[in-house]
Amino acid sequence: MYFLSVENLHLSFRLPNGKSQPVVEVPAFSMEHNQQIAIKGPSGSGKTTFLHMLAGVLTPDSGQILIDGQSLGAMNESDRDQLRSGMIGYIFQSFNLLNGFSCMENLLLAMNLNGSSNFDRARCLLDKVGLGDRKDHLPGQLSIGQQQRVAIARALINRPKLVLADEPTGNLDPTNTDCSLELLRSLCKEWESALILVSHDPRVIGKFEHQIDWEELNQVKESEEVEIEKQ
Amino acid sequence: MAAISVSLRLARRALRQNLLSTLVAVFTVSLSGGLFLGAWKTKQSVKLAFAHSAGGFDAVLGARGSQLQIVLNALFHLENSPGNLDWEQYETIRSHPGVSEAYPFALGDNYLGYRLVGTIPELFLNHQWKSGKNYQVRSPGRIFSDSAKEALVGAEVARALELQLGDRFHPYHGLEYNPDRKHNDIYLVVGILEPTGTPTDQVIWIPLRGVQTMEGHDPEEANSISGVLLNLKGSSGLALDVKYNKQGDRATLAWPVPAILSSFFNRFAWLERSVAALALLMALVGGLIILATLRTTMHERRREFAVLRCMGASRTVVTGSILWQSILLSAFGALGSWIIYFLLSMAVSSLIHLQIGVGMNLPILDGMALLTGVGILLLGLVSAWFPARKLYCSSLQESLNPHG
Repeated sequence: MYFLSVENLHLSFRLPNGKSQPVVEVPAFSMEHNQQIAIKGPSGSGKTTFLHMLAGVLTPDSGQILIDGQSLGAMNESDRDQLRSGMIGYIFQSFNLLNGFSCMENLLLAMNLNGSSNFDRARCLLDKVGLGDRKDHLPGQLSIGQQQRVAIARALINRPKLVLADEPTGNLDPTNTDCSLELLRSLCKEWESALILVSHDPRVIGKFEHQIDWEELNQVKESEEVEIEKQ
Repeated sequence: MAAISVSLRLARRALRQNLLSTLVAVFTVSLSGGLFLGAWKTKQSVKLAFAHSAGGFDAVLGARGSQLQIVLNALFHLENSPGNLDWEQYETIRSHPGVSEAYPFALGDNYLGYRLVGTIPELFLNHQWKSGKNYQVRSPGRIFSDSAKEALVGAEVARALELQLGDRFHPYHGLEYNPDRKHNDIYLVVGILEPTGTPTDQVIWIPLRGVQTMEGHDPEEANSISGVLLNLKGSSGLALDVKYNKQGDRATLAWPVPAILSSFFNRFAWLERSVAALALLMALVGGLIILATLRTTMHERRREFAVLRCMGASRTVVTGSILWQSILLSAFGALGSWIIYFLLSMAVSSLIHLQIGVGMNLPILDGMALLTGVGILLLGLVSAWFPARKLYCSSLQESLNPHG
């Protein structure tokens, strides 16, 4: 049984002109426990939307997403919130650390949202990402690379079964890209978290054993617009 | 509980992150609440203080004129005397069976702006200015002698002019200080009164004969007085009212003192209505300031909320943080209101005591103050309701800008 499986996933956005713009059309997608997959594709092609649907942030128009045997479609919003806080770690391109909170507080807040609080675990993880001595620094006091390492630590603090990384190296220089990527992959491996990373950077994608071309996975044709049927 | 704790922490951090707008909002709300409470309570306290500062007298007999003028002049040492009474009139009312106490007084001079009031020593020996309280003279001083040029100084005058036992001074003619109108008479300070928190503290008391025979005063007026301070027995006030005010035409009986003071404050009903309108306006401003602050921070925090939702925060947590932010702003505003109210009351109290000697009670957190605090909290919650609801209903997808 797959850890994550997607069937006939479809999502369209409604345009101001009243027409419908299909964004995601994925007939099938699956991954094993602890697997690490990179999805490559150009910017603006719907990769982030796909991740949002996997995270339960967006509800598809149709199709099914099963994570660890649980169907997202069968869950109510509260269940999906719980799923996100405990089972899923999300890493953004722009890190999105909470600016008013220190590195340690960013981690502790993620733990609190999952109903736990373990200062030692947070400190150990910050040590692991090389920021143990900066635990009380605010995000604005860190370099870009350091901020991304905090974001990685925050996504992993609850030992999620699935980590979704949306262009996590998009704002980093080559040195920090390699460092962050290595850190992310090794931590996911160590903690047995599955990882889906989307990127448009071939260098990043090239480091993964399992690579998927988004344009092959997603069946939506560019500039495809559909008239919405009036009921 | 965890959700509440996280919401509260987010709210506290948002307030700290936007410290300047937080401080402006808290200050504005504090000022609104403080001014409202201060205006309301000062009005109440002044009424109460005036009622309690009548010096323990039921009525005042004065020259024909306004009852209010007589009361303000005789008991609060404000305004001018409407005229003089004959000594015989004093003796007549003193011997009236309905009168329990009668003390004549005469005005007309001052010392450096503080009024000299001539009266008889019995006022300080027999009269209770408050139930169970006689005037006390600081040791080793004493009450003036009826036939000497001696002065008994009110506590506030002694403090302000640094008058001490044994000091001598020249009175000045008139109720207002004019350096060109100095009398040649010299008075000796023989006693200083303990403070009473009433207008008595603002006066220099001298023998009645002293005012009547002061050098430069009209000798023909030597037997006249400004009025008589009275305490009445039972319901004799009614009979005296008829005698002096309805049937007589030479004098006016200002009675009952509380009703006259009440009519005085009724003159300022328009001011009360203005204060009420101002308070409502202030409440509106306070609510709008909270609303504006929340909207500003919400705009800045929109992405933060979306990130929190991605991390698993429920709608309740992020909406709760807005409500907490408003509650904290309002709570600090309420606290600030009480502080401003306290400071304002202290200032008004000092000013009134300095000007007319009426002592006001210190402000306390009574029902009205607590009600104002609750009102500010409710105002904050109402102001937060709309942005919180908007946030609750907003799409997470829009905030995250999904077209990646």
